[in-house]
Amino acid sequence: MVGPIYIIAIALGTAFSLGFFKKANSNFSFAFMLFAMAFMTFISGQWLYAFLTQQQETIQIFTAGFKPPFSISLQMGLHESVFLSLINIIGLLAAIYLYDQFREKGVQMMMVFVLLFMGLNVVIMTRDIFNLFVFLEIASIATAGLIILDKSINATSAGFKYIIATAIISGILLIGIIAIYYFAGSLFINDIIKLNLIYVKGGAVAVFLVLIAIILELKPFPANGWALDVYEAAHPGIGAIISAASASAGIFVLAKILPIVGDSGYYIIGLIGIITFLGSNLLGLKQDKANRLLGYSSIGQIGLLLTIIGLTPYLGDKTLFIAFGVLISHALAKAGLFWLAGIVNSEYIKGWAAIRRNPLLLVLMGTFIFALVGFPPFPSFFAKWELIMQLANNDKIIWLALILIGSFIEGIYLFRWFGYAIKEKNEDLPEFPIKLNKVIPVSIVAAGLYLIGYYTGLAIPEAAIINYIPLLFIVIIFALDFLPAYVKNSISIIGLAYYSYTIIPAYFENDMLRFIFVVIFLVGGILTFIAGYAYKGKRRGFYPVALIMYVGLVQIIQAENLLQFFFGWELMTAGSYFLIIRGKKSMAHALSYMLFSMGGAYLILAGFALAQQGQMSLSLDVLSSLSNNVFIIISLLMIGFLTKTATLGLHIWLPGAHGEAESDVSPMVSAILLKAGVFGLIILLTSTIKNIETVSIVYILGWLGAITALIGNLGAAFQEDAKRLLAYSSIGQLGYIVFGLAMMTHLGWLTAFTYTINHFMYKAILFLTIGAVVLRVGTHNMYEMGGLIKKMPFAFIAVLIGIIALAGVPPLSGFTGKWLLYNAVILKGWYFQGAIAFFAGIIAFLYLFKLISSIFLGQLKDNHRNVKEISIWFIIPIYILIIGLMIFAAKPELILQPMGDIIAQYFPDGRLNWDGGLATTPIGNWHGTHIMIIIGVMFMLLLTWLVVLSRKAQKVKQFNIVYSGERPFTPETTHISYNIFAGYNKALGFLVMPWITNFWNFMSDIIHDTAGFVRRIYSGNGQTYLAHIIIYIVVVYFVFFN
Amino acid sequence: MENLNLEIITLITGVILVLIGIWGLLTQKNLIKIVIGFTLFDTGIHIIMVSIGYVKNRTAPIIDQSVNINDVGNSVVDPVPQALVLTAIVIGLGVTALMLTYVLKMYQKRKSLEINNYNDLKW
Repeated sequence: MVGPIYIIAIALGTAFSLGFFKKANSNFSFAFMLFAMAFMTFISGQWLYAFLTQQQETIQIFTAGFKPPFSISLQMGLHESVFLSLINIIGLLAAIYLYDQFREKGVQMMMVFVLLFMGLNVVIMTRDIFNLFVFLEIASIATAGLIILDKSINATSAGFKYIIATAIISGILLIGIIAIYYFAGSLFINDIIKLNLIYVKGGAVAVFLVLIAIILELKPFPANGWALDVYEAAHPGIGAIISAASASAGIFVLAKILPIVGDSGYYIIGLIGIITFLGSNLLGLKQDKANRLLGYSSIGQIGLLLTIIGLTPYLGDKTLFIAFGVLISHALAKAGLFWLAGIVNSEYIKGWAAIRRNPLLLVLMGTFIFALVGFPPFPSFFAKWELIMQLANNDKIIWLALILIGSFIEGIYLFRWFGYAIKEKNEDLPEFPIKLNKVIPVSIVAAGLYLIGYYTGLAIPEAAIINYIPLLFIVIIFALDFLPAYVKNSISIIGLAYYSYTIIPAYFENDMLRFIFVVIFLVGGILTFIAGYAYKGKRRGFYPVALIMYVGLVQIIQAENLLQFFFGWELMTAGSYFLIIRGKKSMAHALSYMLFSMGGAYLILAGFALAQQGQMSLSLDVLSSLSNNVFIIISLLMIGFLTKTATLGLHIWLPGAHGEAESDVSPMVSAILLKAGVFGLIILLTSTIKNIETVSIVYILGWLGAITALIGNLGAAFQEDAKRLLAYSSIGQLGYIVFGLAMMTHLGWLTAFTYTINHFMYKAILFLTIGAVVLRVGTHNMYEMGGLIKKMPFAFIAVLIGIIALAGVPPLSGFTGKWLLYNAVILKGWYFQGAIAFFAGIIAFLYLFKLISSIFLGQLKDNHRNVKEISIWFIIPIYILIIGLMIFAAKPELILQPMGDIIAQYFPDGRLNWDGGLATTPIGNWHGTHIMIIIGVMFMLLLTWLVVLSRKAQKVKQFNIVYSGERPFTPETTHISYNIFAGYNKALGFLVMPWITNFWNFMSDIIHDTAGFVRRIYSGNGQTYLAHIIIYIVVVYFVFFN
Repeated sequence: MENLNLEIITLITGVILVLIGIWGLLTQKNLIKIVIGFTLFDTGIHIIMVSIGYVKNRTAPIIDQSVNINDVGNSVVDPVPQALVLTAIVIGLGVTALMLTYVLKMYQKRKSLEINNYNDLKW
């Protein structure tokens, strides 16, 4: 095996010999340098391989033939080899990426570049503290040398700030090192560690100086203005190196000197880390320049790593796994994003909209953003999971909360940026050249993230059982993205059908509860995909993301442990985010959806972490044996799930997200996706049914559900946009489901299940139909439609059936739900809540009437004279669902009876008595089939009578009308449905004023204004930055020696 | 005055130089003067390093006529800080040169040596 010392030899040799190549072909010089970088990578990779597979032992290399302390010693162990490999790979890719710069600037840049990486390599390996100083200096001089090659004044002045700041920091490091030598009499780190200098008078100050200098090299908030300026102004290729390679080396150095500091260092590092993580991400919120934003995010991630190092005493042997997961995600993703910044070449994040001209680049960007935020399947997801679990196990609740808050804030600006990339206008943006040498390194790091993420997952037993085959299927679909939509549509349907075939029968036999949901998710998925045939072209990116959502949903159902559940939950969130943002005006709505989902997910994560505390298990069963913090755990999980059911207060994302989505996406994210939250609630409530705390929580939940039903329905009544009307209606319907569950009685739960199944069917029917109509008429606004009954009879019938069902009018299945609801409410004795729910039901009539009357009845608009019936591809799934709805209405016992058996496991009392099709409660009875027949007969009688009566009626053409003796000249404007419920609005409109939206906007403003105020500390003046450093040292000194 | 021996005097001198250097770095507006502040700071550190290695009544760690060849260990001062200081001086030189290069480039582009004129990047 090639000795590690050759890394230094090769780097030095290359740097010196490059000096002779001045006149030679610069391509040759570049190849020479690239070869050196590749060889360095090879050496470190070889050692890494040996450590991982051949039980290689850590080796010490003594230079100059002496043992330390008389010589400088290097060490090569597993950790060294990991960091060296990471840094050298980034170096190699960075060299390829910077090809054009190398060509332009010549061998000088190559020399400096190689020296930088030599410096970083030695910094990792050395065990001599003075040697450490020397090579840190070499690395920072080389960095400054690379920055100065940029011609712009901003880069130059940023570089100057950088070099005076690092000069001060290394001066302090030097004083510390010499003082350590004074007390220890050695420069060999292993010797120094043994002496416990921290307990020696004066020695503690020496150790402090070294520690603070190393920390300052890692750019802690707020003493980091110099670094931010460099991130902003330097060439992104250089920014990538500083952010990914240098910062990794810095973290390693900190870990290396930490044993000198001893246990007393952890607290201060953790404190510095969390302040940096929170502060940097907070200020990132106001940032609109891409490179500087990346700087803020880089510093934030390093802050998180510092926090993790500081928490080592609590994380125990998981520390390495966690730190590695976060670091590798940060290094690869940040390098990738900086490199993308160099390709897109846009100063402001809005300008990144240009990136979507190249789908590959957009996918790469998405990969990095999701990896940074910590979504599955990236290493950071598993690392963050372990981090939170360990913190909970050690009762570090405040740390846990702060880390989640910081992650959330980071998510805000990262997803806002990503939203711009996907949706902001990009017609006027300049073209950017795409060079292969720039795209390849970015693609490699992205692929690395997926690969390492997969292996990271295997390291956790609870995650190792995750089924990755569906994800592989998605990768294949993604690879086939160039095919026309109908091909991918068929493949997706086949995939989902096969998936259903493999898992649904087992659930039918064993677990009726999960069966219901898995059918909603998978059969619903297939039905909505059928509608996808209506779309022409390629529909790029649609199928992979839709499948991600479905796979996530199914994994939630299949989850046996908390980690699997959370994995599925995050996957579902990611997929649905992409589905929602596909809508034309969906940028803001998708962001708001993502933020609520992320906030909810973090609450769920925290709840899970607290729940498994002390139980030594991650199985879902831990939820049913809660003993500590029960109230908090249930509340956290409940609020988390309620973000997905869009319950009052957490609902503001829904109308826009569902209303602006594409026609076949709306049913996916409405009829199907919302049920994930319901499923979560059911799992939570069935598990905690015996906990006394649940009683008070569900009481509040009941009120919330009832009020949500009212507000959702009222909101729907005042909409002019048909899809938003349906979206608000979903809020109301989900309110009923939550209300039903909250009753915690047999009938209440049966109601909730009935509503769940019903809402899936009629909301899918309505959204599909309205979506298909919208595709034909080109507007969502109901007052711009009208009279479509003759043009689209199939659509009309579908909507008619949908609204009859939704309204809860006999004979359709909505009535089943309503009958159960009223029985449950009366038996429970929740009269006030019940009255609200009842009132909400009446309001449902208003909006449903508006929906059908203003779209299908009234005057046909001039521009719709030639519209055709909705697409057959929509009609097929719609009518399949209608058949399902009819069966459920006529034979409810088929599902409700087995459902009752399931529910009886939890609520054995107050069951619904079935006698054939006759359902009886203590206060009444009802027979689905009979009602269906009776209503059918009445309907036929009335219809016959009507036909008989209107035998002699005269058919009137549209414009053959006379109003009160006055003939309107533009009869097509006599549409009454605009603002049809103005009167109700006067009476009840105050209830649907956007109080809650205003509240969230207010919160957002406060956070953003704080960020805008605090970031003024970065005045741009190099001396101010120096003052920050000095003050920072003084403050930390006093905290440290408190 | 008994306590004021050579190593204390050099140590105090070094510390004073470091403080003057930091003061210069923080208060001088002229880029050149800032660099001079850095060199003072750096030199102060070097003097501190030398003073730490000093042992009373011993000579430089160079084996010549003044050193008893049979008792080197007891007749010279600690050689390590002296070796380190050489390295530190070289590094300091490199850093200073690079700083001056930056100053030169900045002056060439904006014809100003005021640090306050280079505040474009902020927040």
